[in-house]
Amino acid sequence: MEKNRVKIMTEVGLAVSLAAVLNFMPLWKMPQGGSVSLEMLPILLVTLRWDWKTGMLAGAVYGFLQLIINPYIIHPAQLLLDYPVPYLMLGLAGFIILQKKDSLKANSLRLFLSISLGGAGRFLSHLFSGAIFFGQYAPEGQNPWIYSAIYNLSYLIPSLILCYILLLTLLNRFVFDKESR
Amino acid sequence: MLKDITIGQYIPRNSIIHRLDARMKIIITTLMIISLFLIEGFTGFGIFFLFLIIMIFMSKLPVKKVLKGLKPILFLIMLTLVIHIFLTKGGEVLWSWKFISIESEGVFTGFFMVSRILLLILFTSTLTLTTSPLQLTDGIEYILTPLKRFGVPASELSMMMTIALRFIPTLLEEADKIMKAQMARGADFESGNIIQRAKNLIPLLVPLFISAFRRADDLALAMESRCYRGGEGRTRLHELRYHYRDFFALGTSLIIGIIVSYF
Repeated sequence: MEKNRVKIMTEVGLAVSLAAVLNFMPLWKMPQGGSVSLEMLPILLVTLRWDWKTGMLAGAVYGFLQLIINPYIIHPAQLLLDYPVPYLMLGLAGFIILQKKDSLKANSLRLFLSISLGGAGRFLSHLFSGAIFFGQYAPEGQNPWIYSAIYNLSYLIPSLILCYILLLTLLNRFVFDKESR
Repeated sequence: MLKDITIGQYIPRNSIIHRLDARMKIIITTLMIISLFLIEGFTGFGIFFLFLIIMIFMSKLPVKKVLKGLKPILFLIMLTLVIHIFLTKGGEVLWSWKFISIESEGVFTGFFMVSRILLLILFTSTLTLTTSPLQLTDGIEYILTPLKRFGVPASELSMMMTIALRFIPTLLEEADKIMKAQMARGADFESGNIIQRAKNLIPLLVPLFISAFRRADDLALAMESRCYRGGEGRTRLHELRYHYRDFFALGTSLIIGIIVSYF
């Protein structure tokens, strides 16, 4: 990372900016604040372009940015689990490395695994946050985990599928070609 | 269409609350959030509410704008209230019809939870209403500084946040321009099902990403040629400095926080 440090920093900055811009154009809005948008696309892109550490950094930056722009705080633990942590977990996608020399088939499988990993990370964080919220505010006797899982999966899965489809087409241009202009 | 979006909720005013140090405001907000969770009855909420009103009054914010921040959580509030009133049992039975009954415990818990959510959202929104995103970024950097020891790149993080904030309007404008250009060529961004719509975004995304990465390249070059080398020893144009008023604000909030936690 050292050699490209400043370049990575500026790319992460711009990617986060793009994520915020894409978040402004949601494709589908949920009643409780979640929305199907492409905000994860730029973050997953820099993750795959560089490495998981960069991805986590980008995620954390995006999370803090959302916290500043649009905070929605109902519990101290929810603050962490809804803002910096879930996006940071997206960086897990970087554990699976895609290589230019491999076939498209191998890479699309890897991309699928990688996005699933990142998505699962983000989901877990939102799952805990939702369970804490429901546990705190909902009456006893209801199972908070199921509510939280259904709610969060309902927008995460469509978002992740869209990211997968779009990333497949953007792979050659932006992930493998770091000098792309 | 994209140009009307405002980033953040900051409303510039010349008030003592606006002038408070961003770090202190973040610390105070955290303290007050914690104290809200220690409150056990409505007296505490009442005192807290009074404190909040005085604060909003001092910050010269238009009350309408403050209340507007509650709009997105209206659904959540109603849901919490209704669920508790009907499902939390205990205490006297106030009303019943066949298998539905409303009991006093449910009404109490319902309003209790709703008051807490309302006050939480109102308090945190006064923070974002009176502090600009850039000041908040600086504040977050300072607060994360102790974590540097554990490998958290606090100053890099805040530099990236600053870059991101700086380029949101630029990229929004660019997205708008590209959308119009592609629409003039017959692109369709508004019809079709969700997957179709996402696919239709490719003619927007590719140029947008190219331009963003190009800007990142140029920016990196510009920063390197000005000898940027990270947080170590970097000086800043606007130093954050604590004043008496900051400690006064901290003291007041601490006292209020302790008082309300007893009720």
